[in-house]
Amino acid sequence: MATVKFAGIVKNFKDNQVLKKVDLEIKDHEFVVIVGPSGCGKTTLLRMLAGLEEISGGEIYIDDTLVNHLHPSKRQIAMVFQDYALYPHMTVEENMSFSLRLKNAPKKEIKARVAEAANILQLGKLLHRMPKQLSGGQRQRVAIGRAIVRQPKVFLFDEPLSNLDAKLREEMRVEIAKLYQRLHSTIIYVTHDQVEAMTLAGRIVIMNQGVIQQVGTPIEVYRKPANLFVAGFIGSPTMNFIEGTLRVEKGHVRFSSPSLSLDLPSKLLPADGSHEGREVTLGVRPDDVCAGREAGKNCSQKFDSVLEVSELLGHRENLYLKTGDLRLLATVEAFFNQSPGSKVPVCLNFDNMHVFDRETQARISA
Amino acid sequence: MELLSSLYEVAWFVFVVAAGIAVLEGYFYYHFKFHDRPWFFWAGLAGFPLLAWLGLGAAGLGKEGLFAWLFATEAVVLLFFRHIVKGRNSLAYLLLAPAFTGLALLLVYPFVFQIYLSFHDLKLTTIMQWKQTGTLPFVGLRQYYDVFTVPPLAEAGFFKLLGRTLWWTFVNVFFHVLGGFALALMLNNDIRFKGVYRTLLVIPWAMPQVVAVLAMRGEFHSQYGFVNIILNKIAAFSPFLASLGVGPVQWLSDHPLTTCMLINVWLGIPFMMVVILGGLQSISSSYYDAADIDGASYFQKLRFITLPLIKPVLMPAVTLGTVWTFNNINVIYLVTGQAGGTEQADILVSALYKAAFTYNRYSYSAAFAIVIFLILFAISVFYLKTFDAAKEAR
Ligand SMILES: Nc1ncnc2c1ncn2[C@@H]1O[C@H](COP(=O)(O)OP(=O)(O)OP(=O)(O)O)[C@@H](O)[C@H]1O
Ligand SMILES: [Mg+2]
Repeated sequence: MATVKFAGIVKNFKDNQVLKKVDLEIKDHEFVVIVGPSGCGKTTLLRMLAGLEEISGGEIYIDDTLVNHLHPSKRQIAMVFQDYALYPHMTVEENMSFSLRLKNAPKKEIKARVAEAANILQLGKLLHRMPKQLSGGQRQRVAIGRAIVRQPKVFLFDEPLSNLDAKLREEMRVEIAKLYQRLHSTIIYVTHDQVEAMTLAGRIVIMNQGVIQQVGTPIEVYRKPANLFVAGFIGSPTMNFIEGTLRVEKGHVRFSSPSLSLDLPSKLLPADGSHEGREVTLGVRPDDVCAGREAGKNCSQKFDSVLEVSELLGHRENLYLKTGDLRLLATVEAFFNQSPGSKVPVCLNFDNMHVFDRETQARISA
Repeated sequence: MELLSSLYEVAWFVFVVAAGIAVLEGYFYYHFKFHDRPWFFWAGLAGFPLLAWLGLGAAGLGKEGLFAWLFATEAVVLLFFRHIVKGRNSLAYLLLAPAFTGLALLLVYPFVFQIYLSFHDLKLTTIMQWKQTGTLPFVGLRQYYDVFTVPPLAEAGFFKLLGRTLWWTFVNVFFHVLGGFALALMLNNDIRFKGVYRTLLVIPWAMPQVVAVLAMRGEFHSQYGFVNIILNKIAAFSPFLASLGVGPVQWLSDHPLTTCMLINVWLGIPFMMVVILGGLQSISSSYYDAADIDGASYFQKLRFITLPLIKPVLMPAVTLGTVWTFNNINVIYLVTGQAGGTEQADILVSALYKAAFTYNRYSYSAAFAIVIFLILFAISVFYLKTFDAAKEAR
């Protein structure tokens, strides 16, 4: 129930600059997921918003109030820590009511609010247990419950699911999505798991080495990655990258690499003289490497490749292909019924192709 | 020549001890090696007592009934091997044997002898009889009765001493924990020269107690001691404080117990500080982060997070500290125990020491020591029980 604004946020640990001018505006009721590889500064950013970490430069606003020097408890935020940080010597109920008890809230209100949170998270039976007597998923729910009880303006989640096993993680992901719909508050959620990011986010913020790479809806960052980093980070399996050079030929641009040459349609890249001789990286998602099936009308010329390995995933199949010296991964419908070593005709879907300048790493295609 | 002969004596002593250990080891070795052979039981029963009897006789230690004693002992050892060791883990027993023998000689034997003494009457008037005949008059529980009714010292009886001891223990442990906690909290911050402070603060604990206590005793000297000099200066500087009674004090003669307490508090704080600092450092900082967000003030964090979380390390340390302080004879003896010293600062153990070695009432003090032992035992059990209960609750 609040807006959050980071303006030119900088963080230095001694000589080490871990956040370099982060600008980000988060709207009311928004679910924003911050993703990025380990060590890129996600936790640091979140802790600065929570008031647990000194701000080296820039300003943070919550609801247009400058909070740089506000005590954490006054910022009306609640944080769910990666290691839960449940007080080990208090029962679930005491953990959840701790903040209210510190404020000397009336007993009745404490009870009502704890009961409500317990109800939302199905913790009713666990209220008198110690954290040690809970499973990982239950602890996670208690940590979330402790946040809910405070009725904060902004929820901060720091990799809340990273300590859970795959199945539980899926369940909790759904729980959190439901919770968001129910609470309708602003949520900032940090993760390095891109599946969580894609499924939960209203908007995704992709960070790398203390710099925001792209901000957008999950579809935007998937369809139109702004640079090579985002293209490689978002999407699973990872995008295929082909390095090569551009030549402008009569009316269109020609991409050529040692193993593969393609005429790019002008819809993808207009025939502009400035592209002449440009070093680029071509990006194609495995889904858009059409192998063995009828190519769509926006496909490239067919070329031959050799099937090296195929992996059956159930309803999909990963094909590891080789064209000259170039290795490509294609994802196709199961069952592909070709044995390794056989020749497979392949074409690339121009609709979902991305061209990145290799020098600036930025996207240059439409 | 003096030097040579004392060196010779030391060498002789070392030789005797080493030879004793070697003989014991050999003795055990043969038991471990052959104890499961059928012939060994009888061979051992005949052989070892005979060897020992001959050996001791040659060393001039033979006496009446010795052979029977040796024979019985050997029978017990053989039965022990046959029915308890039974060849299981015999290597482990073999390795433990020297340590156990040492413990038995140093702990079990004196303890048993103490119990023996406490039921008999050994004092200055009976000691010659003991030396000549080796027997003492049996008095049953009279020594234990005397512990509570006959004062060990000229001025104070058992219950007065017990009260003083409890007060002494409580005050000391209280300030040890309080001071240690305060210092540990300060050291747990990000401050510069932390290592230097920590080293300086640990020095009183690391120094030999005799040196530390005697040095401090000097500082409490009525005329030349640091404490009184400071008090003099303060009184001279501020007449107001002087009018409130601040001024030099006859520490050693008028307030011996307080002086001992001040010194012992100073001595005991470093230990608690080190233990508590260890506990503080093991508390994950994320609890404090969570408490910050929950809106806890500094003191609320101390009370609701820090204290409960260092309890597991604090409780054993307090138990140990209680036992040590209850039993602390060093400080009191070194401050007040010399010739002409006062008895006003004596606690149970120092009174016990005086009863035994100043007043020469050996059996009485043996009973006295057993009573003290039982009190301490009860205190420790109580502490550990509450500690276990606290641990259960998590
Ligand atoms: N207290 C600190 N002192 C010095 N450097 C720190 C401190 N905390 C974090 N860093 C550094 O700041 C950088 C960002 O750390 P941060 O914890 O924000 O990463 P993260 O994106 O949350 O990574 P992860 O996904 O592994 O949690 C890292 O390089 C880290 O080494
Ligand atoms: Mg992190």
